Parts: sequence; structure tokens; C-alpha cells
Amino acid sequence: MKSLILFLTLIVLAPLFSAIMLKIKAFFAGKKGIPLLINYYTLIKLIQKTSVYSISTSQIFQVGYLITLATTLTSLLFLPFSGLPPLLSFNGDIIFVLYLMSLGKFFTLISAMDTGSSFEGLGASREAFFSFLAESAFFMVIISFFWFDEKLSIASYFMANNKINVWNNYNFPLPLVGISLFLILLTENSRVPIDDPATHLELTMIHEVMILDHSGPALAFIYINSYLKLLFFSSFLTLLLFPRFGLDNKWNIASFYITLICIYISIGITESIMARFKLNKVPKFLVITFSLATFATIIIMGFAR
Amino acid sequence: MGIFKLTIFIILIGGLIPFATYKNFSLMKILSVLFISLGSLMGVIDSLFKLNNKEIYNVTYKLSDIFIVALSINNLTKFFMIIIYLISFFSVIYSFHYLNDSSKALRTALSYFLYSLLIISMIFVVSANNIITFIFSWEVMSLTSYFLVIYNYEDFETIKSGYIYLIFTHIGAMFIYSAFGIMFAYTNSLNFINLSLIPLNIKTLIFILSFIGFASKAGLFPLHIWLPYAHPAAPSHISAIMSGVMIKMGIYGILKIYTMLEFNSIITGYTVLAFGVISGVLGVVYALGQSDLKKLLAYHSVENIGIIITGIGIGMIGQYEKNFAMALFGFTGAILHTLNHSIFKSLLFFGAGSVIHNTKNRSIEQMGGLLKNMKVSGLTFLVGSLAITGLPMFNGFISELIIYFGSFQGLKQLPLTQFASIIAIISLAVVGGLALACFTKVIGVAFLGEPRNDNTSNAKESGIFMLIPMIGLSLICLTIGVFPKYFIKIALYGTETLFLNSIDFHINDYFNFSTSITNISLLFFLILTILFTLKYFCYKTKKIHNTSTWSCGFSKPTTRMQYTDFSYAFSIIKFYKPFVLFKSDYKKIDKIFPNKIEYHLEYLDIAEKYIIQNIAKFLDLFFEKLRWIQHGNIHIYIGYILIVLIILLLLI
Repeated sequence: MKSLILFLTLIVLAPLFSAIMLKIKAFFAGKKGIPLLINYYTLIKLIQKTSVYSISTSQIFQVGYLITLATTLTSLLFLPFSGLPPLLSFNGDIIFVLYLMSLGKFFTLISAMDTGSSFEGLGASREAFFSFLAESAFFMVIISFFWFDEKLSIASYFMANNKINVWNNYNFPLPLVGISLFLILLTENSRVPIDDPATHLELTMIHEVMILDHSGPALAFIYINSYLKLLFFSSFLTLLLFPRFGLDNKWNIASFYITLICIYISIGITESIMARFKLNKVPKFLVITFSLATFATIIIMGFAR
Repeated sequence: MGIFKLTIFIILIGGLIPFATYKNFSLMKILSVLFISLGSLMGVIDSLFKLNNKEIYNVTYKLSDIFIVALSINNLTKFFMIIIYLISFFSVIYSFHYLNDSSKALRTALSYFLYSLLIISMIFVVSANNIITFIFSWEVMSLTSYFLVIYNYEDFETIKSGYIYLIFTHIGAMFIYSAFGIMFAYTNSLNFINLSLIPLNIKTLIFILSFIGFASKAGLFPLHIWLPYAHPAAPSHISAIMSGVMIKMGIYGILKIYTMLEFNSIITGYTVLAFGVISGVLGVVYALGQSDLKKLLAYHSVENIGIIITGIGIGMIGQYEKNFAMALFGFTGAILHTLNHSIFKSLLFFGAGSVIHNTKNRSIEQMGGLLKNMKVSGLTFLVGSLAITGLPMFNGFISELIIYFGSFQGLKQLPLTQFASIIAIISLAVVGGLALACFTKVIGVAFLGEPRNDNTSNAKESGIFMLIPMIGLSLICLTIGVFPKYFIKIALYGTETLFLNSIDFHINDYFNFSTSITNISLLFFLILTILFTLKYFCYKTKKIHNTSTWSCGFSKPTTRMQYTDFSYAFSIIKFYKPFVLFKSDYKKIDKIFPNKIEYHLEYLDIAEKYIIQNIAKFLDLFFEKLRWIQHGNIHIYIGYILIVLIILLLLI
């Protein structure tokens, strides 16, 4: 029951967390910034509107974003928020979740291709390229986790006995994994320095360009999906990072929330102090992410056993 | 055994009837399709029922003193028989509307005859219990499939592709026969008997020789060169049979030799794994570079064979390391993936055939927007793509997940095995990601967007008998993906044969994720339904506008402005540059008022290039030196015969 409440609160709060990022960026730019509830206003506004469909599109365009949203929602059910038992769990679920996200990506990509626009093809091509690199890095992270816990389930990684958490004494290589996960987070959610969600030139976009032709409620669904996806990755990272106070302690939840918000803030800071990379540098960045995870795995193999 | 014979008999009748009735084209097709599909369906059901009892059926027919037909049907055989009959069933139904050129009636009749022979020979390959039967049926399989490939023999390209296939299949067969020769030398028996007692180095030799031979049939890198030639040349239902079933005979062969040898060597385990990994990654990279739809699918066969071989490698390592779970997961994953691949690959070839049949070209560069006119073909192709990419809810995911499990088990072992497992896991992840890129490309360029030429925009949906197999196979893909438990059980029957000492375990100890996957898939569909309802309410009272795609304010977009498959794949392929060779041809602008400029880019397969460059060129040079033997003077040829006879007389 606790888990369900936590799950629902987090889902409802996801747009708010994303707005924190915007606030941070505004602070760095010396602006007052938009209100914290801006994302909710946007969603309500979009849902009230109607949609414009391109005549080139087929039905795929109209169902793709729903399937993507469903995959993200299902993935979130597997996360043991603040160490509480998740709503769903089985041995092997981490691979299932990663592939489920790929399913969502598949439909995002083909919805983009459905419009027949050259820009959206460009974005789709880049997304396909970068995400396969990011995915391999994520698998390296899973391999490094295997030494702590010989199961392949997110719940058993992060639940209860503090197995995989940076504050545990023997887990000194885990910060490396944390950095690697943070970089994966930036890639998968198309944040700076991989992609700039605020850019205004179609040629330089990656994720934003793929959704150019969506409008109205469809766009609202896509926004919700992107908030939730960011929530998934930052919660995953939070579970690795947040300090715990023993089993079943109510401070765990507070600590979880604070860490989560800190991660959103650090994304905001990254976005404020960095410019995006040239596109041909992105693969190198991702290979570095992969190498970092590999390095952590090697250290864990050697010492932390 | 009775039903086994009856099944073969019915299929053979289905193959022979066309010769009597080819004057009436549709009657011929109806009868032939009816008999072959009936026989195949019986085969599937029969094998499924027999899987339950662990009895091994042995039959021997003595045709002459040397030629003894010996058959033995164990669970692994039955599993492969299910694959053969299942795909044969759908494929022959598909052929009813696919082979619709009544001016080629006799050729079609011959094609049905060869088809039935191909199916029967494959059944004999998997049930053969002595060397003679195996070699005989293997040859029949290779030859019939060769003749089926060159169905359109007027086309020079087809003849060339068939020739390449013939060479590869026979070089492979040579390796297999030499392995059998060594086996015979050590056991002095033509039967497939347990070879555990022969020395280890001989075992290794036999394994390597037969692995090369079977790998060339299976299309493992670098012996896959024939696949991208033979599949596009063959009619689509034959491509489906060849890619879905026939190349699996190579997998069967590898498993068979492995069990016969009772072979435990870590080095071969690593080697097999390495070949699997290389084949998997490079297969999908080359597939990305193709724009010929069937060639692309052929390269995906290389990739999937790579995944299967990876599974077998994991299983072999697990067997050696005495890690039961690793061996179980590796072999079960490989065997289940064999079934899964045969299902979704034939589905994709059917879809490709349907598309090519109606648009009259093979290059996806010329297609586009096909989903609008060809709903069923498009959607079933989409299902096939999702399955081959290994995405959840579809069958490809289940077997890949099992192979992942096996690989993760390897992390518990010694450092070298850990390293091998890490390589296997990462390569599986990379293959998954690249396959996603590749199939989003195919779906996006060929089925979505706007048609790129008139043939494509006027394409119509195929005949109903071409659609039925596609729908059937898509449903099977979805069923295995959502309810994997029963199918894992079927694969486990096959796996049991592979273990040296019979084992007893409960399916739930290792495969308890299968029920969770069922529940979660159903939950996923529930969430999807809720979202659809939400969407319905969002749009209930609103009028939806239609306009052209946003192109940055440009109001007259043409279909040529769409993103092409080459540009889609280019950056990913460039990432793998050392393994993919680029051949570009660019006429530069050299005048003040430039003429039409052209840019041509082609990706070359390194295996093909280096085999031609090093082996073929070398052989060519060598045989060039021997040219003088063949000079055209018949009397000297007779002299050769005389000399040989004299030498033989002296020797014997």
C-alpha cells in the first residue's frame, strides 16, 4: 500500500520535478523563471486543444505515443521507490525493463518516420544511434551490479539490506557507476550536453525533432512520457545514491525525495553550465560512459567480491 | 512410427500430383498445397504429442548391404521436426497465391515436387542415425534447395547466386564428410554411436571440421556469404523455408555432433561463443547497410544464427564449468531461439515477398507509405520486426532473455569465463540496439511516410492465401511472447537430449519468470487500453485537422525530401568502420554550370572481400597453373584414363 501511494505521488509530481530543472536554469541565467507549476498548466492547455495530423501519416502515428507511454508506466512499476517493495518484480526484470523501454523507443522512432519529414528522420537516426550506445553502457552497469547481488532484479538490488548503495562501506567503486548512470540519464532523456530540449533549430535537435508533428493531447501524452522517463532514470540513480536510515525507517522516504530533487537540480546545473556537444562528439562521450562502467566493473571484480 | 511414415507419404503425394495435373494450373496448385499442408500439419501435431514421452524411436531399413536407412527420433529431433513442418505448412499455403504465373505451369509443378523433397530430406537429416542416411539426405536437401533457388533461371543474377550457394553448400558438406570419415576410421561403424571413448585431440578435430561444415550451412560469419545472394534470388516462400528452417539444419548438426562426442573442452566453448558474438554483431551491422529488403533479412539471419551460436557457446562453457544453470539457460535459449527465429524470419520473408510482389522492386529506397495500401502485410511485418528486434511481448525476447540469464550465470565462474560472459552480454545488448535501428529503418522507410514511386503508391494488398500465413505466424509470435511457459517447456524437451547425464529438475526452479512475463504483459495491455480510453475522451468532441507535414515553413515538400535508408544508417555504420568497407562513387562538380551530379555509396562485407581477395584469388592462381592438363585433345584424355587404370592395377 505504501509503495502504491509513493508510486502515485511520484507520478503526479514528475512534472513538478522537471520544472525544478527549469527554475535552476533560470537562476543561472539571472532570471526569475517560470512558475513551478508551469508543466501542469502546459499539460492542461494541450489537452484542451485539438490535434493536427499530417496527411502523410498512418495509424502508427496515432498509437505510437500511447504505446511509448504505456512502456514507461510499466517500467516505473518495477522500481522499489525509497527501498520499499515495488509493485512488480521478478528475477530478470531489469532486462525486461530495458527492453520495454526499447519497445517504447521503437514506436517513437517509427512515429517520427511516419511523417515522411526529413527532419524527423534525422532525429530518429540520431536517437537510434545514441541509444544503442547508452543501452550497452547500461548493461555494463548491470554487470557490475551482479557482483553485489546475483540476481537480475531491480527490487533485489535496492531493497532492504543496503546491498547496492554508495553509502555502504565496501562499495567504493559505486560512485563511478553513479557517474556513468548519470551520463546515461542525460543521454536517454535527451538533455544537454547530448541534446538540448530548448533548442529552436530543427537540424540540431534529436528528441524534440521527432515529435514536431504531434500536437494537442498527443503532445501532452508525449510530455508526460518524457517526465516519467526522466523520473525513471533519476529514481534509479537515486536508489543507488540516497542515504538510508536502517530498515523501514520513515526518514528513508524523506531522504529519497531530497536525493531525487538533488539529482534534478544537478541536471539543471549541468544544463546551465555546459553547452551541447557537436554531434560527432556524442559517440565519444557515450563510449566514455561505457568505459567508465567497465572500469567500475573491473574494480568491483577485483576488490569488492 | 505409423503417422511419421504417413506424413511423409502425404507430402510426397503432394509433390508428385502436380506432374499429373499441371495442365490445369489452379487444380494443380490446390491439390499440391492441400496435400503438402495437410501432411505438414499432421507432422506438427504428431511431433508435439510425441514430445511428451521420452521414448526414442529407432527404425532401420536395409536397402542394400551398404545403403542402410537408419532413423532415430529423439526429443531434439522432434523439436526440429516441429520447426520444419510448421514453417512448411505456412510456406506452402503462402505459395498458393505467390506462384501465380500460369505460363510457368511445368516449372511450378517441378517446384512443388522439389519443395516436398526438400521438406522430406530435412526430416531425414534430423532423424538420420547413420552416416549414409545423413549424407544422402543432406545432399538431397542441398540440391533440391539449389534448384528451388534458381526458380527464375532466366535471370543471370539468379544463376550466379545459385552457383555461389552451390559452392558454399558443397564446401561445407566436404568438411562434414571429412569429419564423418575420421569418425568412421576410429569407430569402424557407420552408425551414429557414442564417440566418448576416442582420444581428445581427434574429438577436437572432428568437432572443428564438422563445426566449419555446419556453420557454412547455418550461415555463420565468415561463411555466410551465400546467404545474401541466395535469399534474394529465391522465391519468397523458398527464402522463408531456407532462412527459417534449412539453415537450422546447421544448428542441429552442431548440437548433434556435440552430444555424440560427449565433448568437454573449454577452448571450443570459447571459440564457438566468439564466432557467435562476431556473427551476431557484424550480421546486424551489415544488415543496416542494405537497402535490398531480402538481402537485409538475409543478413539478419546471420545475426540470429550468431545469437543461437552464442547460446550454444554459453551452454558448452556451462557444461564444462559444471555450472548447471548456465548450461541449461544457454542451450534452452539457443534451442528456443531456433524456433523463434524460424517463425519470425519466415513471417518477415513472407511480408517482404508480399511487398516485392506488389511493388515490383526489392529496394526499400523505392518504397514508402505501404502501410496505407497493404494494411495486413504492413502490420504483420511490424509484428515480425518487433519480434526479431527482441522486444517484450514478442517471442524473440523470451529466448534472448534466457540467453542473457545463461551469460549472467557465467559471471560466477573463473575470470576467463567471466570475461567471455561479459562479451556475450554486451554483444547481445549491442545486437538488440542495432536491430532496433535496422528495423525502425525498414518500417520507417518502406511502410511509412510517402510512396517514392508510382508502383509503390499503386500497390495493392496480396491475395488472401498470402495473408493467412502472415497472420498465423504473427499470432504465434505474440502467443510465445505473452505465454512463454509452454514453449519453454517444449524447448526443454529438446535441451534434455543435450545433457550427458539425464537430469531431473522442475521447470519452476529456473523459469519462474515465464509466469511473471505473462502477467506483466497482460498488465501492459491493460495500461494500454486505459490510455486508449483516455485518448478517446481527449478527442471525443474535437475536430481533427489534416495538413501536410511540417517542414520548417516550406510548403511544397516532395517525396524525395524524405529521409532515406542510407542516411538513416550511415552514422551507425561509420561507427563500425574497420569492419565495413565503403565503396563510394562521387562525380564531382567541375563546371561552372554543373550537370547532374551523382553519388553512389555501397557497403562491402569484409568476409566477402577477404575471402575473394585471399582465398579465391590464390586458388585461382593455383589452378591457372594446372590449366595445361585440360587442353581439349580427346585422345590424350583417354591416355589419362589409361594411366590411372594402370596405376590402380599396380596398386590393388
